[in-house]
Amino acid sequence: MDPDEVEFWGEKSPIQIVPTFNSPAIYLIGGDVGPFRATIPCRVPLWVALSLKRQQYCKIIPPEWMDVDTLTELRRQEKAASSSFVKMPSEHYMVEAKLLLGGAADDVPRADEVKTIVKDIWDNRMAKLRSSMDSMIRNSSMYAAVDNLTLMEINSVRPILPHALNQLYRMKMVKRGLSQGSATLTHTRTAVSFTGS
Amino acid sequence: MEVDNEGETEMASLELEDDDDLTLEQVLEMMEVAWLNEKFAPEILPHKREIVELLLGQITYLEERLQQLPSTDFKKGIHQMEIDRLRYLLTSYLRLRLEKIETFHKQILLEEEKRADENEALYLSPKELEFAQEFEQDLEAHLAANMNFCPNWQESTATERIVQPNLNSMVFLKAKKDVEGIAIDDGKAESSDLIDLASGSQVLINYNNVASLVKNGDVHLI
Repeated sequence: MDPDEVEFWGEKSPIQIVPTFNSPAIYLIGGDVGPFRATIPCRVPLWVALSLKRQQYCKIIPPEWMDVDTLTELRRQEKAASSSFVKMPSEHYMVEAKLLLGGAADDVPRADEVKTIVKDIWDNRMAKLRSSMDSMIRNSSMYAAVDNLTLMEINSVRPILPHALNQLYRMKMVKRGLSQGSATLTHTRTAVSFTGS
Repeated sequence: MEVDNEGETEMASLELEDDDDLTLEQVLEMMEVAWLNEKFAPEILPHKREIVELLLGQITYLEERLQQLPSTDFKKGIHQMEIDRLRYLLTSYLRLRLEKIETFHKQILLEEEKRADENEALYLSPKELEFAQEFEQDLEAHLAANMNFCPNWQESTATERIVQPNLNSMVFLKAKKDVEGIAIDDGKAESSDLIDLASGSQVLINYNNVASLVKNGDVHLI
């Protein structure tokens, strides 16, 4: 999946905004938003929030976890759990951080620090993910629980991990076929030679 | 002029297979799941025709109503964005299916024939079926016209050239409800381990072990 497509899913996450305008509710297919009253917070999908923010129709209230103290604690837990992944406060934490710090950085307190810590957490998780991928392929296991991994993280090991495992599976099937002496592998292809002739 | 959810009343009464009344929001969610499944499943899945047609109708309806809104209304931008997002979702879904049809046309047509013989529900929509058949005819005609330099071409029968999806490919999935006793095929021996999935858990697993669960909606691919 394209990272933009992961972002597309992340943009559906709800977020609180403080509108600066009054308007009756907007009836969207994905659920109604509003009604909007100036200064009264309401919940909208992230893509609506960012669009309103661009037109300076609202202030965005960052999600609770997007706060230096919470994130520092999360970073500590992530480092302490050396072989497992900590449950993230949001299924799309990376997308939300990227979009909010990009499009609404003035609404996030201590945005630079938040950015650094989120990046640290991401790097830490990616390092763990890479080492578990490595051990998975070494043990050639064909099943893995990936609880607590977010969509963006899963997507980052695609297509290489599933692809590598597919190849391993093929090799195992060949072995199984040979040991049983079955005729499943009689279909051999002669190599085409482009030299000489 | 308001763009409102009048459409919803007529849509909400539309009944899908389960005889449940669904809101547009739920239909949209089903579409999103269908997109994810189609994106990651190696084989073509049953077409979600009711949902696609319903949402396409909704796009047309909304666009007509949007024409009537003055362009100064800020709501127009939001509605337009939602329509664009929805259209992306639908076209991407249909394109994914067409890609699969082009790659596996022969195998898909054979399976559809088998399904038709056994009176099972077809996986392709009538238009997709038409596309697949035309694609196959054109390809065969093209190959017949251009492959005569290849000495063994005539002898190799069409069945030898069938491209099959790798149903054993590894996929990521998320369980929507508790599922028990999924057999894991690790490729080594006939004996296989059984695993249980709790609702909400995510695993990396061989597609073949879970294909029926994807089709009946107990799990979805991610």
